[in-house]
Amino acid sequence: MNIIVCIKQVPAKDAPLSMAGNWIKESDIGFEMNEPDSYALEEALRLKEKHGGEVVVLSLGPERVKQTIKEALAKGADRGIHVADDQFAQLDPLGAANVLAAAIGKEKCDLVLTGLQSDDHGFGQTGVLLAALLKLPHATIIMQIDVQDGKMKLKRELEAGWFQWIECPLPAVLSIQSGINKVRYATLKGIMAAKKKEIVTITRESLGVALEPTEKIEKIYVPTKTKKTEFLTGTPKEAAAKLVEKLKFEARVI
Amino acid sequence: MKILVATEQRQGKWNNTSFETLVAAQQIAAAASGTVTAAVVGKSVGVLAEELAGKNVTEVLVVEHELLENYTPDAYCKALQQVIESSKPDLVLFPHTYQVRDFAPKLAAMQGKGMIGDCVGFRKEGDKLVFVRQMFQGKTAADVTFVGTPPWFASFQSGAFRSDLLEARAGGKAPVSVAKVELKAEEIRTKPLELFKEAKSAVDLTQAPLIVAIGRGIKAPENIAQAEAVAKALGAEIAASRPICDEGWLPMERQIGSSGQTVAPKLYLALGISGAIQHVVGMKASRTIVAVNKDQNAPIFEIADYGIVGDIFELMPVLTEELQKARG
Amino acid sequence: MAVQREQLEADVLIVGAGPAGLACALHLANLIKKHNASGAKPELSTENIYVLEKGREIGAHQLSGAILNPKALAELVADFEKSAPLDTPVTDSALLLFTHKSSYRAPITPPPFKNNGNFVISLSRLVKWMGGLVEATGVNVFKEFGGAELIYEGSGIAGVITEDKGLDKNGKPKANYTPGYELRAKVTVLAEGPRGSLTKQLVAKQKLENTNPQTYGIGIKELWDVQPGKIKPGYVAHTMGWPLPTSMYGGGWIYGLSNNRVSLGLVVALEYHDPRFDPHAAFQTWKTHPFVRDLLDGGKLVRYGAKSLPYGGWYAMPRNYVDGGLIVGDSGGFLNSQRLKGVHLAMKSGMLAAETILEALKSGDTSAKALSLYKQKIDQSYIREELWRVRNFHQAFHNGPFDGLVLTALQEISGGRGIIDPMHSQPGYEAYNQIHGRPAPERFKGDGQLTFDRLTDVYHSGTRHDEDQPCHLKVLDLNICATRCAEEYGNPCQYFCPAAVYEMNREGEHLKLKINFANCVHCKTCDIADPYQIIDWTVPEGGGGPNYEGM
Repeated sequence: MNIIVCIKQVPAKDAPLSMAGNWIKESDIGFEMNEPDSYALEEALRLKEKHGGEVVVLSLGPERVKQTIKEALAKGADRGIHVADDQFAQLDPLGAANVLAAAIGKEKCDLVLTGLQSDDHGFGQTGVLLAALLKLPHATIIMQIDVQDGKMKLKRELEAGWFQWIECPLPAVLSIQSGINKVRYATLKGIMAAKKKEIVTITRESLGVALEPTEKIEKIYVPTKTKKTEFLTGTPKEAAAKLVEKLKFEARVI
Repeated sequence: MKILVATEQRQGKWNNTSFETLVAAQQIAAAASGTVTAAVVGKSVGVLAEELAGKNVTEVLVVEHELLENYTPDAYCKALQQVIESSKPDLVLFPHTYQVRDFAPKLAAMQGKGMIGDCVGFRKEGDKLVFVRQMFQGKTAADVTFVGTPPWFASFQSGAFRSDLLEARAGGKAPVSVAKVELKAEEIRTKPLELFKEAKSAVDLTQAPLIVAIGRGIKAPENIAQAEAVAKALGAEIAASRPICDEGWLPMERQIGSSGQTVAPKLYLALGISGAIQHVVGMKASRTIVAVNKDQNAPIFEIADYGIVGDIFELMPVLTEELQKARG
Repeated sequence: MAVQREQLEADVLIVGAGPAGLACALHLANLIKKHNASGAKPELSTENIYVLEKGREIGAHQLSGAILNPKALAELVADFEKSAPLDTPVTDSALLLFTHKSSYRAPITPPPFKNNGNFVISLSRLVKWMGGLVEATGVNVFKEFGGAELIYEGSGIAGVITEDKGLDKNGKPKANYTPGYELRAKVTVLAEGPRGSLTKQLVAKQKLENTNPQTYGIGIKELWDVQPGKIKPGYVAHTMGWPLPTSMYGGGWIYGLSNNRVSLGLVVALEYHDPRFDPHAAFQTWKTHPFVRDLLDGGKLVRYGAKSLPYGGWYAMPRNYVDGGLIVGDSGGFLNSQRLKGVHLAMKSGMLAAETILEALKSGDTSAKALSLYKQKIDQSYIREELWRVRNFHQAFHNGPFDGLVLTALQEISGGRGIIDPMHSQPGYEAYNQIHGRPAPERFKGDGQLTFDRLTDVYHSGTRHDEDQPCHLKVLDLNICATRCAEEYGNPCQYFCPAAVYEMNREGEHLKLKINFANCVHCKTCDIADPYQIIDWTVPEGGGGPNYEGM
């Protein structure tokens, strides 16, 4: 099975965020593989171990993104494609998907995997958009993939503890639910082997994808709390009664 | 401005966040002098359509087809595509459900448009609509606007609007019409099979609308039952700050904070939690925060909407009682 | 547990990608290239040099003030002034005496506190850049791998075993369990920084201790962005006096970086008498001094961290060569405690180790005898020149500042000899006075704007550990904590740890130790300062620990 995994490099989870217009200041923060994508990568590696084939890692962004591609190669991906774009943070979901789809279009693959969403923008649309642009069937929030006879049986997660089985043909695009598997560690041998694996760099321009935004992030900011804390006093019973009243009539959560 | 709301139902039962989206639509319509068209999609949804007709919407569209009985992204996209073509809305709104996440971006892409998903609110600035959504797992907010011409597509996060604010229709019922859609079986590439419930091995607190969280103030694992009683009375999930999970008193997946889950529920009730920054970053985007702590200087009170300075062991039993009374 | 470990072999294994480890790797790679180019045999490969780094990234665990003397860097990298991330040259060096309300600047800055030709830097950034140079030579740098155990051979070492990954908090394998590797090398270089865990084991096992035991200080640092105009880039100040009592050896620092960023902190020698002294609280208190308060007014905390430093000087440096092994950098105690500078000496030690290793690889002889060339090189280099002159410096202050000033003045005019040479010292943990029932002090809370409690500070260290793993802080006898230590010393671990890892909680009648290991910033203070020496700091799963970007 030839699988392409779209992986995003995002600011490290604990990085202190400094707002700068509609993105954050990138100096002095670490970057890491988007955690939801690491589950997609792990799933791809397991499918390869089971069914043979190749796992290709695709990532869009500036030069630093190569580090994340290398990490994926160290875990067992076969080769990497880096679409170089310094303006990637300005791409809206459709724009980013257009670029990725153009890069994927040049490859022969059976399956495209993405994580559910990115820990920075969190739009959660890439997988679905890729399917639309590549004209492939898709499914999201996948918890299990069984491949048999060129078809897939997928376990999809729904709300409130419900699940559903779906039959899906190949080729297809899937977005993978976090926690589907336990992500493996890169081995020393894997890290060394990664140095010899190929990472091809292509530019957005060379893919012929124009920047035509359909939505724009005007600015990002830390939401400030305007309300002051209302302290509820009295005996425990009185305070409890007041609280329930507030929750019912003011906050309207019960 | 013509607003189309794609409500969600499954096997004749509403996904209730659809009503929140209708509220959002009503508010946007009021701000932008618009109309609200409510669409219900599926098979044999006439009864649901009638229900919508009693709300303050301009019209109700029934989008029915055999092949819409069980959800598939292909069928829903193709059907709604046709509805958009015939109905020509300016703004298409969805509740941000698992199902919407599965097809709505594609529907928008089919029109060459982008979707602003998982919004927590909107503002009108001049003649522009600004949608607000969270980024960096709730650590920041972002103002997002559409570029270019309609139709525009957006979804609202569960709890962003209050469904009880849905206005009923003043006089009579809204007109209900059938939107004709044509679907072919061979166009539907995925085949939905059985739905089933499973005892989930992991709880996803990020999906819980109400959370009761305990901290060190609980003192001993035997006392957790009291907090669980509050949670049960509230219909909430139980969660905890790191020290509780560290001790193994609750499983790690119940942990909220920088090294656990980040949540933004409608209600976060913090019992005996001091409010160390490691915990607060995991829950401060919650819509309503209630804190109970015997230390009036506990940092948790800085972010709480309602606070009770007191002993959680005195409060939990009576709170459980009051909640049971209120929720009946 | 008999674990099947994968075995790998390298020519050289360097444990720790700090300034010493990376200088060793880079210099060795360059030497190998020259060696191969000259056609000399045997042909060597840079790819057979492995560097282990327990942090998530190179530089993640690097913390220092820092002021860099560039002399070693100049030898290591030709055009360093153009390519190295040196933030700003030092423009002004001040020695300040703090009293409770005021500060006095010494009219003439004493020579040890002068910094002509030096740079204010972020050590983390410098090391990250060095890492890039090292990786470009083909050397293998393995991030998120620590050295957990030594492989002993003869009277030396033959390599290390890396840590097991994927064990749950009870030590049971998880689905992604990956046992540590058995990494063998012809020469293993321990470059673990101050109080290296493998170094500690090696020194004990092979009896490498010198005349004096190594003694340490703890440095606690915050990085702030301040209002424009508050400080000039390149301004360097060291403070003495308030709030530290005269019996305590230590002081503060304030370094101005570019873009209105300030590095500041407090260093305290871990040989104080009050077992319940809280270095972190002292640092926060120091910030309330009008001089510092004004500097930080309107500013924002960017990052926090802490690390120990080896103060012992020349006579406390362990023997640093064994069969198949060398010790470089802070692990070997290469710090000038008078000038508080160690980065250039760490680098130089790494480079001298590299030269020694080249000879050993050429001859095939990696015995202690062959590797003793390292000691010869050190003795002939400016390392000895610098450290010999201050060999009794720190020990001179054992009886307080007045004795110290007199003694060190005498040392200064006698090339370091002073009155007694060598001046003997005790390990720092033997300095504690028992509490004799004195009630515990109130803990520092912080105002949340200028001063912070430890938990808030720890959050700003970016420290992260997977919590479902065994606790990496091994306490050899928990009974002592609840009984003897509580009675005699009041459990100092609760006070000296700058990351609020250790807590004693009352459970009914008993006291119980709680270890919040996920907070650990890898400073090693607990390993150093616990009065019974029963705390063993071991490497957690790789990748865990602080994130000292920009520090």
